[in-house]
Amino acid sequence: MLRCGLCAAALGLAYLPAAARADDDPAVTSRVVEAYIEMRTQPGRTYPVFYVAERGETIELLKRRTDWIKVRNARGIEGWVHVDEIGRTVDAAGQPLAFAAPDREDFSRRRFEAGFMLGNFDSSDAITAYTGWHFTRNLSIEGAYTENYGDFSDGRMGSLNLVHEMFPHWRYSPFFTVGVGIRETNPRSSLVQTEDRVDNVANVGAGVTIYLTGRLMLRLQYKHHVIMTDRDDDEEAGEWNIGISAFY
Amino acid sequence: MEYRYQRVLLSAGLWLAAAGALAQEPVEVIDPQVDRREIVTPAIDTENFEVGLFVGGLSIQDFSSEWVYGLRGAWHVSEDFFFEASVGTAQADLTSYEKLSGGPPLFKDSERDFTFYDLTVGWNFLPGEIYFSEKRAFKSDLYLVGGVGGTDFLGDTWFTAVAGIGYRLLFNDWIALRLDVRDHIFDRDALGEEELTNNVEWTAGVTFFF
Repeated sequence: MLRCGLCAAALGLAYLPAAARADDDPAVTSRVVEAYIEMRTQPGRTYPVFYVAERGETIELLKRRTDWIKVRNARGIEGWVHVDEIGRTVDAAGQPLAFAAPDREDFSRRRFEAGFMLGNFDSSDAITAYTGWHFTRNLSIEGAYTENYGDFSDGRMGSLNLVHEMFPHWRYSPFFTVGVGIRETNPRSSLVQTEDRVDNVANVGAGVTIYLTGRLMLRLQYKHHVIMTDRDDDEEAGEWNIGISAFY
Repeated sequence: MEYRYQRVLLSAGLWLAAAGALAQEPVEVIDPQVDRREIVTPAIDTENFEVGLFVGGLSIQDFSSEWVYGLRGAWHVSEDFFFEASVGTAQADLTSYEKLSGGPPLFKDSERDFTFYDLTVGWNFLPGEIYFSEKRAFKSDLYLVGGVGGTDFLGDTWFTAVAGIGYRLLFNDWIALRLDVRDHIFDRDALGEEELTNNVEWTAGVTFFF
């Protein structure tokens, strides 16, 4: 909800000053129970530590950017603290806060992922953008958009795929996929005029998702497409892809 | 003999089953009174997305340099890496040949729209801070981007590789100034033979984090 509002703000539809944003929810506070936590001037490990909050100090959590949380202490000093350090502070009830930098455990339990791939569709260059939602640890549904650029024709393809990961807890996680979609083929303008075609497509494929670091994954896959044309024979096409994606 | 083995094994089995049944009898020593709490991640605002507008120049190979403008959106997955999508457009003028020969134009006006869209990965390889005054410091990043996309130009869509460098200066936590230089590289055969073209875009932009 907040994100949608800010999205609209960012698009210039409505502008909210920074103070108004913070008023929507009650402030989230936590207490330092370790010896100290380090506050940096900016969200990044290379920035200098300018203040150290001691044990017993209460800090207010303002916002998060990547793996850094902006905090404010009782004296109004603001700085950025790494999520792992915030994860060792406690709330009013004495419970540790559930904050941690993304790791392999989060990879195996990821709910949402998005990325793009570069590849070869039936001997032509192809790019694919995709996004997936995991409704169980093993199963996810993905939407993918592919464009390929051949010597004689360009193609665009949208597809909806079901993906099954057999071993989601593995660092090299293999998967099978089946899907359906629509493909549009546009012959090159330098050729004698031929009609654009729109056909239904079905595909089956397999691949592997490799956890890299943080939220990043490498993805390798092969898909076999059957393009159901209006002509006597259906076309078949193979597609290889390598891509990078991130999960949330 | 066989019966004796069976008797021994069966009686041993009976004893084990009986022992198992006895062990399952619940023996309550302490009634646990632990108040279990759900560990929940506090809902704080995450600002990992960046969207904005850019405007600048695009030098189109074999054509002249033109104004270009467009939109960019990025997802910061860590302090080091971000994924970015860009869309931009420019209008190409006549080629030098068309101007000099004085003949009819080679392409229609609609074919001269140069529209590109791409997906890139960015790497903030030189994060820094700029000191404007004693008390004011702004975060900055020098980043490299690389990716792939498509370019609609001269009536066709061309597979395009994108590489570039950029600079981001954050005035506060959520408003940033961006300066980008990117090369859009693609093979094109619209002027007869196939040739590799470099189309350099240099832009300034404003982005917002949310």
